[in-house]
Amino acid sequence: MKIIVTQENLNRALNIVGRIATTRASLPILANILFRTDNGRLIIAATNMEVSITETIGAKVENDGAITIPARLITDFVNNLPHSNVNLETDGGKVKISAGGYKSTINAALADDFPELPEVKPANKFTIDAESLKEAISKTIIVASSDTTRPILTGVYVYSLDGVIYFAATDGYRLAEKKVMDEKSDISVIVPASTLSDVLRVLNGDEKVRIELDDEQISFMIGDITITSRLIDGRFIDYRQLIPTKTEFSATVDRNEFIRIVKVAELFARESAGSIVLKTKQAGQELSVESITSQIGENNSTIDAEVKGDGVVTLNSKFLLDALNAIGDDKVNLHFSGKLAPVLLTGENDDYKHIVMPVKS
Amino acid sequence: MVNYLAMNEGNISEVNLETQTGVADIGLSSNALWQSVLGEVELICTPQSFRTFWLPTKLISFNNDKLLIEVNNIFAKTQFEKKFAPLINDILKKHGLTRPQLEFITSSTKRREHNEDVMVVETSKKSSGSTPAKFESRLNSRFTFDNFIVGSCNDLAYAAAGAVAEHPGEKYNPIFIYGGVGLGKTHLIQAIGNKITGQWPAKRVLYASTEEFVNDFIHHLRSKTVDEFTRKYRDIDALIIDDMQFIAGKEKNQEAFFNTFNALHQASKQIIIAADRPPANIPTLTDRLKSRLLMGMAIDVNLPDYETRVAIIELKAAHSSVQLPRETAEYLAENIKTNVRELEGSLNYILANAEMRGIEPTPEFAAELLANSRTARPKHITARQIIEKTARYFELKPADICSPARDKYIVLPRQIAMYLLRSELHMSYPKIANELGRKDHTTALHSIEKIDREIKLDITIREKVAEIREVIYA
Repeated sequence: MKIIVTQENLNRALNIVGRIATTRASLPILANILFRTDNGRLIIAATNMEVSITETIGAKVENDGAITIPARLITDFVNNLPHSNVNLETDGGKVKISAGGYKSTINAALADDFPELPEVKPANKFTIDAESLKEAISKTIIVASSDTTRPILTGVYVYSLDGVIYFAATDGYRLAEKKVMDEKSDISVIVPASTLSDVLRVLNGDEKVRIELDDEQISFMIGDITITSRLIDGRFIDYRQLIPTKTEFSATVDRNEFIRIVKVAELFARESAGSIVLKTKQAGQELSVESITSQIGENNSTIDAEVKGDGVVTLNSKFLLDALNAIGDDKVNLHFSGKLAPVLLTGENDDYKHIVMPVKS
Repeated sequence: MVNYLAMNEGNISEVNLETQTGVADIGLSSNALWQSVLGEVELICTPQSFRTFWLPTKLISFNNDKLLIEVNNIFAKTQFEKKFAPLINDILKKHGLTRPQLEFITSSTKRREHNEDVMVVETSKKSSGSTPAKFESRLNSRFTFDNFIVGSCNDLAYAAAGAVAEHPGEKYNPIFIYGGVGLGKTHLIQAIGNKITGQWPAKRVLYASTEEFVNDFIHHLRSKTVDEFTRKYRDIDALIIDDMQFIAGKEKNQEAFFNTFNALHQASKQIIIAADRPPANIPTLTDRLKSRLLMGMAIDVNLPDYETRVAIIELKAAHSSVQLPRETAEYLAENIKTNVRELEGSLNYILANAEMRGIEPTPEFAAELLANSRTARPKHITARQIIEKTARYFELKPADICSPARDKYIVLPRQIAMYLLRSELHMSYPKIANELGRKDHTTALHSIEKIDREIKLDITIREKVAEIREVIYA
């Protein structure tokens, strides 16, 4: 193989693809990145046997071929090269790389030993704009669980219901659902949250993303980049039951003010593992947040709100802040009933629902 | 290798040893054949690759030179299909298998396909019994007599519905089933339809809610295709209409229904109707329609009793394949007495919560969750609201009810209001009397006892109280 590519292109691709390469897997070759010529272009790929990322970049191909190079070394090396053309040439089990005055020879491994890259035989495909996908992912993966004993909760449930695609995730303490877009095809898959955060990193600009999926795999095609992942096997929990439809108390508040008083209350809630008490007062049309620590002292802050009912509920401040940050609108609606029922947070419309289970107090 | 053999011994039973053609020739059991493939591969590839890809494989079946091999995930499957297949073929060739066919599956597909197999069997059974001509009955096949729980509250309705399903058009025509929300009316009438189509696949059964019927009628009227409407609703063997009460007040629609009804009835076609109250209590239903609806049999379904509620919960839990502790079922049955839909809703809510948190649905857990949703209820409602809504139901002012007037048209609403204050808010008699501007608590006592008695005897009072209660909680 003999090729010439620009440092910028190669560097960008290695930064995206190289992240997936891992030294921890049982197969040593997975720590390498695959370089392969393909119709006058260069394919750069890595996989960890759950996810694979490939990017195709422009190159001047003088000789076709393929090779795998240790990911860390090649990424760091290319990163330090000047902006110029980079020459790659294989020589048996070695690869010679030169750019300007920089020359190096790296011990590589043969591409034959590299695992075949997965291909989805799409049973379903649709396109979504990057912006919507970005929003859907970032608003749901925050509540996905990292507890591998319950694998389905480590993923985001992507499914269609009545012609609309939803993303949903939960870790057992909170739950988020985002209504994403209209789509006729019938979809119901659980995508690993880790895959989605890889997708999130790659997403930028306003391009369209093509998604293809079958029963076991899903592919995200973003420009020249393809991310293919296995799906999580299993049935997602019937979470729609948990979204409260009627609640006793509600408050509509300015989101930034709310965040501020929660952050203040959090300072006084370290001893109680972050539990803070929310109170609505209908008479004063106000929402207050309280927290008490026997060692430090106590705190009580109040803001104006449109309130219905005089209610009290105890929440975890971190979960509440996550929810408020995810909502993103200027106004936030808080709905709850009693000390144990799920608390529903929404923004200015119903597209995004965030539920937090109260802390028992 | 020795370990591996021992480990895989359990799988031998899965492989059909006797009927394979190729195996007998080479004198190896199919499992041993796969072991020998693995043995050779181990010599060729790296130990890491062997451990990652080859060790977790299993030979699922081997028939007529076709090998079905289970691999541990989709990623490994790609490797086998694209990379390792030629290698396996080469090795098998050495064992005398000239053109083996290889197929790889992952353990999750295996599970899924197994499930699908079962489903295919079921649906093919069903489809063999359906009509050759395409006719949409709009019935939901989920509703059958088998999964309808019978108790003293609905055994009569169940028996009548069963008789109608056995002899459509002959017994009880029309059959009119009524009762409050969520007590199984829709289930019962759909079960009749499903039973009829199950027994006589050629029979055409049409299910429509009153709303659908009305919309259809208006649509055809507008597009001037009333003939088509007539054909659709009259060229059938059984007509099932749900939520009949919604036809009230719609003159033209009632006429359309009346004509449809007559045509079907005269041709001895079965008519099945459900509503939330008896025909006599549906206001603005024309008299001729009322009398028609009462021609066959009008029968009510009531609130299920405790035992029936337990049975319902256990059936629903079994449906969602959940192991629900008996005590939890009993707890729910004891605490939710309103209707089956609420019962089912609470059960689903508890199961979903338990699943999300990954814990057992114990009675304590159920109590905790229900305590929430239940205490939330009465708090919403004040004595004022009950009085106001009762007054409005009777088209009176709240002040009238609280006034000293003793006109008959005020007395009954006042008594009902007292009854509701007692039953919904558990207020004391003196407090109730006070709320309604009476001095003596015995007035309240007397009124409540009177309504309590009349509810048992007089169906109109019962309906009225139930309706006001619905308005209050709406």
